[in-house]
Amino acid sequence: MAAPLDVFPPSADATPDSVLGGVSGKAIEGRSLGQIAWMRLRREKVAMTGGIIIAVLIVVAIVGPFLVQNPDVYHADLINATFSRPNGAFGGISLAHPLGVEPLTGRDMLSRIVNGARYSLLIAVLATALSVCLGIFFGVISGFFGGWADSVIARSMDVFLAFPLLVFAIALIGVIPTKAFGLSGNSLRIALLVFVIGFFNWPYMGRIIRGQTLSLREREFVDAARSLGARGPYILTRELLPNLVAPILVYSTLLIPTNILFEAALSYLGVGLYPPTPTWGGMLSEAVSNGFYSVDPEFMLVPGLAIFIAVLAFNLFGDGLRDALDPKSR
Amino acid sequence: MRERKRLGLAAFAAAGTLLLAACGGSSGSSGGTASQGTTATYGAAITGVVNPSTHKGGTLTFGDSSTPDSTDPGNTYYAFMWNFTRLYTMPLMTYKSCPGSCGLQVVPDLATAPGQVSADGLTWTYHIQPNVKYEDGTTVTSQDVKYAVERTYDRSVFPLGPSYFPLLLQDPTYPGPYKDKTAGKMGLTSVTTPDSTTVVFHLAKPFADFNYVVAIPQTAPVPQSKDTGANYQLHPMSTGPYKFQSYQLNKTLTMVPNTNWSAASDPNAKQLVNKIVVNMNVNANDIDNRLMANDLGVDMPGTGVQAAARAKILASPTLKQQADNPISGFLWFFYINSVVPPLNNVACRQAVEYAANKVNLQTAYGGPIAGGAIGSTVAPPTLLGYKSFDLYEATTQPTGDVTKAKAALTACGHPSGFSTNIAYRSDRPKEVAAATALQQALSQVGIKTQLHGYPASTYYGNFAGVPRYVHSHDLGLATGGWAPDWPDGYGFFQYLTAGNSISPAGNTNIGELNDPVVNGLLAKFGTTTDAATRNSYTAQIDMQVMKDAVMLPEVYAKSLLYRNPNLTNVYVQQYFGMYNYAVLGLK
Repeated sequence: MAAPLDVFPPSADATPDSVLGGVSGKAIEGRSLGQIAWMRLRREKVAMTGGIIIAVLIVVAIVGPFLVQNPDVYHADLINATFSRPNGAFGGISLAHPLGVEPLTGRDMLSRIVNGARYSLLIAVLATALSVCLGIFFGVISGFFGGWADSVIARSMDVFLAFPLLVFAIALIGVIPTKAFGLSGNSLRIALLVFVIGFFNWPYMGRIIRGQTLSLREREFVDAARSLGARGPYILTRELLPNLVAPILVYSTLLIPTNILFEAALSYLGVGLYPPTPTWGGMLSEAVSNGFYSVDPEFMLVPGLAIFIAVLAFNLFGDGLRDALDPKSR
Repeated sequence: MRERKRLGLAAFAAAGTLLLAACGGSSGSSGGTASQGTTATYGAAITGVVNPSTHKGGTLTFGDSSTPDSTDPGNTYYAFMWNFTRLYTMPLMTYKSCPGSCGLQVVPDLATAPGQVSADGLTWTYHIQPNVKYEDGTTVTSQDVKYAVERTYDRSVFPLGPSYFPLLLQDPTYPGPYKDKTAGKMGLTSVTTPDSTTVVFHLAKPFADFNYVVAIPQTAPVPQSKDTGANYQLHPMSTGPYKFQSYQLNKTLTMVPNTNWSAASDPNAKQLVNKIVVNMNVNANDIDNRLMANDLGVDMPGTGVQAAARAKILASPTLKQQADNPISGFLWFFYINSVVPPLNNVACRQAVEYAANKVNLQTAYGGPIAGGAIGSTVAPPTLLGYKSFDLYEATTQPTGDVTKAKAALTACGHPSGFSTNIAYRSDRPKEVAAATALQQALSQVGIKTQLHGYPASTYYGNFAGVPRYVHSHDLGLATGGWAPDWPDGYGFFQYLTAGNSISPAGNTNIGELNDPVVNGLLAKFGTTTDAATRNSYTAQIDMQVMKDAVMLPEVYAKSLLYRNPNLTNVYVQQYFGMYNYAVLGLK
């Protein structure tokens, strides 16, 4: 028997659920690459959890400081000065202070964590943006034009990667005066931290972009554009950059948690923001440097967990995003 | 005199845990304190001797969470090392081995009597005991004392100790014995040795406190033939009750009894145990646990137990009766600059004194036990000539007096407050906490402050200790800590408050006080030879400095020490603020 050759119009009855589940009643449309990626990402429960946590963190960082109490107010009545620890169990947790209080000052931990989120995330995101911009710029130039430009940029990336970054960062922040570039106090420190973290991380991004550009520029569609008479700038912006969006997005997401940790490390080493401004790394550093973790573990645990959760969320989301954008990479 | 270094070290100790810098000592001796003992209760070793005994034997172990700066008596500035070197050295003078304020007395050690000073105050003569021997049996001569002093002039080899001799003596440019071309390397003209038991110091100007200077371990004799320069610390020739058996640098030091030592010549030290072992670079919490488990004799730095052990000790009555909480001799304070406007007005400075919440400052340093008692004077209570007073309600209204502070602000013409900056050492968590606590308290009366942290290593050299920097950056307030190299008013106040101590860099008078009353009293201190009269100036200077309000005292530092119950002859030597290591024995 021959199969019927009639072409049936699409109908709900004839459509297997597995293919069209959730779109019944609508006409089938072509999906863009972005839509496909978004669908894949939505199916990744772990990545979506990470994404939701990131969204919550960002909301907390933006509006949280207006909702919590003043993070700088001392509560001497809530702490036991003799033992250098908060009164009550679990770091002095109470209704008024859901995450407890600091052992030396009685300052509210929740409001310090929330305010710290603002500064820690701000520095991490801005530094990432700086790294990404520099990385794209130099990576594309290096990969696309090749020749001596590639040699110079690739070698300088090697130099940057081999640099004892932490030592240099400490030295640099140490020698900058308290007022410079029209900035002073914390705004100067934020700018410096962003610069140091962002500037020294660009080669990671730059190498990835350079590699991608190198392989893309030999592909057929680029040859096709070139044979039609397209010039460098057109090929760069219309042919190459759109194809670089995926790796850029993925590695930006993965760079943010690295930068959160780097900011924490710098704060821990004493070159973070000025007190009493809270940052997660600074809080962790206070807890560790005074040895409080032995009498008041919560003091270390709370900022430690905050950093842990943020880093994990960004990493999970970044992994999921990579899988969604490029399934072959699994 | 450069107290800053020691201060720096000491403050480091208090902040972190380990090293204490401090004051000097020498080898000494303890004679007959053993008879009246005290039972082991909390604080018993501060005023009396716990477990007095003449029982011999056992191995005494010390634990150090870091390392000594140097075991060379000519190259050390840590308090615990000035204490510990008394086990193997005898400087000309030392501090009498006894509990309580008796332990502040400077007494002859290698010398037979305190220095004889000439009428013009410029020549100090010491006679040394004729029969003191090194561990190898050779006799100590006055040339060895001179050579020991000469060594300290070479700062490239011995950079760590204090440098009082070049500062006080004539011939300050002597290069040190290693570059000395004269025969026998005896080229330092300001120290002479008329015979083998006499040593004479020629000062550039009168200095009445000179007996304290020669109580620093730097005058402990060094035989020139045995000097190995920087390596001498691996085996200093002992004149004390113990000698080095082996020393793996910064790991383990083992000492055994010195058979050529005689108790009669060294009454401030005892030779009771068979062996002394010092373990270095041991985890601080581990040291505490081993102390409480009787596995370790003494926590060497003597700055007190860590927070975890503090909680354990204070919560347990049995452990607590084995603990002491002595005053270490340190004062933590804020400098209030008397030049930076508007603090150049004394009423504005007094507003700061009243507004500060001393309880929060005390908490920042670790609370009443580990931090210290709230201070109302610049001189700590362990200073000779100290008198208690309280001008700014530090003890009667310790959380600050907003009303009086506002009245003072009105008097200085800034009724709604003013703005200034607070400098602190950013790598010292306790100072960070203190600076933020002061910022918080001052904001209550409208004084707005911005915090500026600097690295401790360059704090005095490049920032807070540079008046030009202080003026251009409006650093009105700055954290500080101080303990004198010897326990009298001159040793304490000269570098903190004398007008002639203000220097363009490395300034220790950060308040820039130049008060004729204070300057006059300090000048009299230098020339008054009678000790009792000198000590009566201390409280007068203290009172004037507090009236000028250039210092905001925070706490008289204290530390919680745990006393291993197996130790005998245990007491706190007040000068060191820790147990006297020279007389310890084991049950």
